[in-house]
Amino acid sequence: MTRARTWRAWKHASLHLAMLAVSFCMLLPFYWVLKTSLTGENIFVYPPGIVPVHPHLFYYIDVWYYIPFPRYLLNSVVVSVLSIAANVVFNALAAYALTRHFRGRGAVITILLSCMMIPFQTTIVPAYLITAKLGLLDSYLGLALPTFSTIICIFVYKASFEAVPRSLIDAARIDGLSELQIIRRIMLPLSTSAVATNVVLSFIWSWNNFLWPLIVVRDPLMQTLPLGLSRFLSYHENTTGALYAFCIMVLAPGILLFLMAQKEFIRGLTSGATKG
Amino acid sequence: MRSTFLRIVRHRFVAVPLLIVVAVLGWNAYVVTHGDGIVRGVVLGPDGRPLAGATVTMMEQNFTTNSDRGKTMTREDGAFEFTDNRSHNIQLRAEKPGVGRSDVVVVRLYFRAQDVTLREPLRVTKPAG
Repeated sequence: MTRARTWRAWKHASLHLAMLAVSFCMLLPFYWVLKTSLTGENIFVYPPGIVPVHPHLFYYIDVWYYIPFPRYLLNSVVVSVLSIAANVVFNALAAYALTRHFRGRGAVITILLSCMMIPFQTTIVPAYLITAKLGLLDSYLGLALPTFSTIICIFVYKASFEAVPRSLIDAARIDGLSELQIIRRIMLPLSTSAVATNVVLSFIWSWNNFLWPLIVVRDPLMQTLPLGLSRFLSYHENTTGALYAFCIMVLAPGILLFLMAQKEFIRGLTSGATKG
Repeated sequence: MRSTFLRIVRHRFVAVPLLIVVAVLGWNAYVVTHGDGIVRGVVLGPDGRPLAGATVTMMEQNFTTNSDRGKTMTREDGAFEFTDNRSHNIQLRAEKPGVGRSDVVVVRLYFRAQDVTLREPLRVTKPAG
């Protein structure tokens, strides 16, 4: 009995040690970026310093003032909010439709799945032409339009919706709820994990999007943060500390949102995974 | 009703953005009340005593350039004051003909036009040789 307990304790400890080692390897680059943003020291210096020497926040202040950072931040926030709102609504509608039985449902799912294999770069010219025809170049709507619905997020919703008992939907229908009301009052409240996953994924994708804003934006004041980062790099090559501070300022909102929603996010991604 | 409100406010998706908004508002209130662009300091001579009549030059530092933003003279007690700083990254230098000049002192501020009083005086030294 004691031997078995000792063995279990050893197993537990070694598992945690391994997880600590993996976490260390994963977090070290982030720590390095953070440390450099606070000290501005040369990242190639040998031997590398682990503890930051005379850390300060002035590189962050330089980034805030030397480039139109608040404007870039506003642009990124507006585009991300549009993208999140559209993803949460449109993906839910599409996913609910896919949980219903209709002729050609299998074909629609097959087409959607195969569309996932097509990289965005191959469709960027038609996407640009459509956006230009709609008169949405250099606009928030034009920036957010291609990220309004993502197929992966539709399937995240679909897996979550399929876990809702059929009898509940039938009861709602008998009570006189329309299909839209069923989605809004029953499906979405019961699928908070899927909603959180949609929010996090759509936010991260639109927040980090570089190629599409690079193509549709001509006005410097409509640039988003990733474009601003590239512009910053081309202007100021020798400002290591400010550059890393910029990276942290771009990364921080995404990390914060993920930390807030990580429980729901992981549950949303794994829901339906064990469904028979 | 009250418990529902508290439950919503305590939810992390509401509490964290609220905290951020409060912090931003607080910071902006501090900036408004401490952002008159006043830079104060003292100039000491080679003998360590306050130096009157020295010219203090304020330069604005950018990533790649420095540009003069103003000059002022020290008073009898060696004190000087600029009231029109609009930068967050300035350099100061004091000099007096026949006495010498100080090293350039970099002053980093947390926001543009932050009011600041230098902790260390500018020390004018005789030119070498």
